[in-house]
Amino acid sequence: MLIKLAWKSTLNRKASVALTLVTIAISVMLLLSVERIRQDAKSSFANTISGTDLIVGARTGDIQLLLSSVFRIGHANNTVQWQSYEYIKAQRGVAWSIPISLGDSHKGFAVLGTDASYFSHYQYAKKQHLTFAAGRPFHNGQEVVLGAMVAKKLGYQLGQKIVISHGVGNTSFHHHDDNPLVISGILAATGTPVDKTLHVPLSAIESMHSTGHSKPSRMIAQKQDATHHEHEHEHEHEHEHEHEHEHEHDSKNNSALLHNLDSKPGDLIGSTKQITAFLLGFDSPLYTLQVRRNINQYKGEPLLAIMPGVTLRELWEMLDIVEKILLLITLAVVLISLLGMLTSLLATLNQRRRELAILRSVGARPWHIFTLLISEAIFITVLGCIFGVALFYALLIAAQSGLQSQFGVVLSISALSTYELMLLSVIIGAGTLIGAIPAARAYFYSLADGMQIKT
Amino acid sequence: MLTISQLQFTWPKSSPPVLTIPKLHIARGEHVFLHGPSGSGKSTLLGLIAGTLDCQQGVIEIAGTNASALSHGQRDKFRADHIGTIFQNFNLLPYLSPIENVTLGCEFSKKRRQNISSQNKSLEQEAKLLLSDLGIDEHTQQRSVGELSIGQQQRVAAARAFIGRPEIIIADEPTSALDADSRDGFIKLLFSQAAVYSASILFVSHDKSLAPLFDRQVSLPDLQRGAPLC
Repeated sequence: MLIKLAWKSTLNRKASVALTLVTIAISVMLLLSVERIRQDAKSSFANTISGTDLIVGARTGDIQLLLSSVFRIGHANNTVQWQSYEYIKAQRGVAWSIPISLGDSHKGFAVLGTDASYFSHYQYAKKQHLTFAAGRPFHNGQEVVLGAMVAKKLGYQLGQKIVISHGVGNTSFHHHDDNPLVISGILAATGTPVDKTLHVPLSAIESMHSTGHSKPSRMIAQKQDATHHEHEHEHEHEHEHEHEHEHEHDSKNNSALLHNLDSKPGDLIGSTKQITAFLLGFDSPLYTLQVRRNINQYKGEPLLAIMPGVTLRELWEMLDIVEKILLLITLAVVLISLLGMLTSLLATLNQRRRELAILRSVGARPWHIFTLLISEAIFITVLGCIFGVALFYALLIAAQSGLQSQFGVVLSISALSTYELMLLSVIIGAGTLIGAIPAARAYFYSLADGMQIKT
Repeated sequence: MLTISQLQFTWPKSSPPVLTIPKLHIARGEHVFLHGPSGSGKSTLLGLIAGTLDCQQGVIEIAGTNASALSHGQRDKFRADHIGTIFQNFNLLPYLSPIENVTLGCEFSKKRRQNISSQNKSLEQEAKLLLSDLGIDEHTQQRSVGELSIGQQQRVAAARAFIGRPEIIIADEPTSALDADSRDGFIKLLFSQAAVYSASILFVSHDKSLAPLFDRQVSLPDLQRGAPLC
């Protein structure tokens, strides 16, 4: 009976209740979103690399090396000499090594120079190896393997030719347009920065730079627009100082282009002199600390070796305070919305004293009045939470692709976790506590007023 | 039905008693008109009879029970079971339909619900019957409370007071917002319904012109002085 009365009374004050509901729903959405993004960003980072014992680069900060080599965030300032790499990978206990050369880009996506070991040894998430959605690894310096998102966003297909720019970012003016590369493979999605990376052999990086840097820099107009998705016939425009070497193809030309991929594995390294960093895996974890010490004391050049797990933990520790502040701010927003509900309930309470008197006249006891009022607060909070959860999922769906492409954070659209349900319970608990204030006031009003209607 | 003896009530932090009633008796089915100027203690007396105020001294006996000896909770339950109330104005809950407003009178009283079920009627049937008897037709019963006139609202409130056959009906200036014709019509309806249920009526007003309609009139100031009742 009281629940029915509370529900009808709440419906009777649609406008103010709707406003309160909206504020609670938005704050709940905000809290859940911040928490989900925080958790998923953490797991996205943690999933990016696995099975790698050491990351080695030129001496810099641990976190900077991790971010630049694995997450493509920031830039490595120095390089590692190829001979140092050769020396270290020959150390006892080294099971595998992956050289990494970064610094070039294609339409805002990072270009990573490496060798065939990348496709056989790089692991992500729970020690998963990279797999090909289409094609195969590169065989020579004219081939490129795309991350899943690069292929999807740019509409690239196997056999297509693309041009790499020097430097990173979206608007590079220095294109290695005399070294078009053929797409030989497209990797399956991993939910890591690998998806946003173009992989080329080290020899391709070297040849691009040796030719590109020997010529004067040229300003290339950005002609690579979305039209290449539309299966136009292949065109090649050549001008005296401007080249557009991005080749389009249609389905008719597909077989001819794929024919070009009948290459045999060749030299992937070339005469590379420098790389940005390299990843090492050991036969046994026992070697990790020893080799790490040796690398950090390497006489040939100043190098730094980091253990990705340890550095990631350092990164979380560094970000911990930011996370806590963010959580506090969102909790403050939730609290403000609940205080909004309190204001609204208290503001209407005085007008409702005649309602309370009528209820008292038909035998309602003061605790009935208390229950009625607190039930309304619970209704509003629970409904606010339900709408907030709905908004949260709507936001997740809307922001999912943007967050993945911009920040590499893969949002999981899954059921609410125990932690998120616990947050909702805390909000409902807080709403109930806050609702107890007007309820207690109504309780004392009903004791004092009795059946006398004082409006 | 209602007997008050040696009643005295003083508000906290106020030295002279606001109410001193040596004796008042209302018989079963009797219609009593209680009048007095503003501030004479009419509402206080009603609060004491209804049990929302504590009786500090004296005895209030209703339907054979010493209501003044009951605890707060028992008084609330006693009120729900034995007393129907009609207010001056704003009698209805705006978010309930007229029928729900009437059945609200039984929601807190098992006894009143049993009184209805013993006649093989549902709460809603009884509410509709009462509303029809009080001149609220079926069409009006379906309308929202906000669309009803003041007179119609007062009749719905009367139906709520009568539902479940409480022994005593307290009416606190229920006609003050009505014009003379509506007022007389409402009181006659009230009496006819009270006659059906053998309910006593204690009708409080400062409008003495209504007095001739009742079996007996009581002036609160006279009552307090212990003057003989009219």
